[in-house]
Amino acid sequence: MFRNVLGKLVTETVHVHRYVKHAAVIQRVTPSSVFVRSFADVKDEAQRPFDTSLLDFLVCPLSKKPLRYEAKTNELINEELGIAYPIADGIPNMIPQEARLIQKDSDTSTPPAQE
Amino acid sequence: MAAPMRLLVRRVIRLSHRNIHVSAAGASGRSGCCWGTSPCRCFSDDRNTHFGFETVPEAEKAKRVYKVFENVAQKYDVMNDAMSLGIHRLWKDTLLHVMHPQPGARLLDVGGGTGDIAFRFLEYVCSQQERQKRRATRSMQTPSWQDISNNYSTEDEDGPRESRAVVCDINKEMLKVGKQKADSMGIGAGLSWVVGDAEELPFDDDQFDIYTIAFGIRNVTHIDQALQEALRVLKPGGRFMCLEFSKVTNPVLARLYDAYSFQMIPVLGEVIAGDWKSYQYLVESIRKFPDQEEFKHMIEDAGFYCVQYYNFTGGVVALHSGFKL
Repeated sequence: MFRNVLGKLVTETVHVHRYVKHAAVIQRVTPSSVFVRSFADVKDEAQRPFDTSLLDFLVCPLSKKPLRYEAKTNELINEELGIAYPIADGIPNMIPQEARLIQKDSDTSTPPAQE
Repeated sequence: MAAPMRLLVRRVIRLSHRNIHVSAAGASGRSGCCWGTSPCRCFSDDRNTHFGFETVPEAEKAKRVYKVFENVAQKYDVMNDAMSLGIHRLWKDTLLHVMHPQPGARLLDVGGGTGDIAFRFLEYVCSQQERQKRRATRSMQTPSWQDISNNYSTEDEDGPRESRAVVCDINKEMLKVGKQKADSMGIGAGLSWVVGDAEELPFDDDQFDIYTIAFGIRNVTHIDQALQEALRVLKPGGRFMCLEFSKVTNPVLARLYDAYSFQMIPVLGEVIAGDWKSYQYLVESIRKFPDQEEFKHMIEDAGFYCVQYYNFTGGVVALHSGFKL
């Protein structure tokens, strides 16, 4: 039984190596651009573009209604309940406790709860 | 060199005795104030639940679990390999084989933090795509002019792009690690990351073909709510698949497994990740999770059909599967 497991482990690592080799080829071609991109990201406050195709099936967890993407504040807004979910590093944070209430009179009076 | 080792060994023995006898003794060696709250085990209130072998208010469990995974996020994959001797990869690969996703399928991986299942899903679907293409070209060895012109019109395959994997986890740190892994592996197409709660998924009804939760459901405070949400977001005909640690059936193996769990794993946690308590929680939470049959009933109660389970490694891990019909 252990020999089978070992055998499987070896073949798995071989498979992984094969995939890693493919990935490594791609990465070897553009290593500098990767580094440049990461520096640029850090400078731009990790403003990675939010993939709006997610909005097709992403809804507010509380009301299950669709959301609106607000590019200025980089948040997902639920108009009905008046809450905004922050997007950090391209990943939307859909935890209700971490959403921020949108004040009706002033726009961005309270800063977003999370980074 | 010998003295600290002896201390460590003594601590291990003391802790393992504590666990095996499940006594309500005071805090262990290094644990501070946060583990000492309300060690009464006779509570059976609705508002209390288990956090490992401890009893905590339900509201607290989520916070404690969050902290556990926040602490271990960076070393999560390394620890998985060390604790399971790499066998967790086989478990996850088998999950994919049982799942057998076809190109164009949509996967929701809940509690998928570092993305293991989602990556495997995308690779599997890609290789399926290639296999189908190869089969198609093989059957078209002598194409007619009609076939050739059809081929040119449908040049761009949007199969791999159609298959989507969404990784949802309550913990930002785990997702961050997962995203870094994806970037370094060069996987980007068809992969999305969302911070969300398994008990309140931010997805619309009838959206996904497959819902997976691998080694995550025992950390959820209200498992039945998570199962209800899973039923909601799956399309009719969708499959629910849950990989989780379970009860070992063989008594000899059970003894060895217990000894390994309570004596080796926290030590490994301390040595590799510098975190004894989190891995203590991990092995305790495995013991508190219902066994294969009970969990199967819970899944059936939630409304899934054709629920069955497969035992891996003698019951150390069980794969439960159900369909929404």
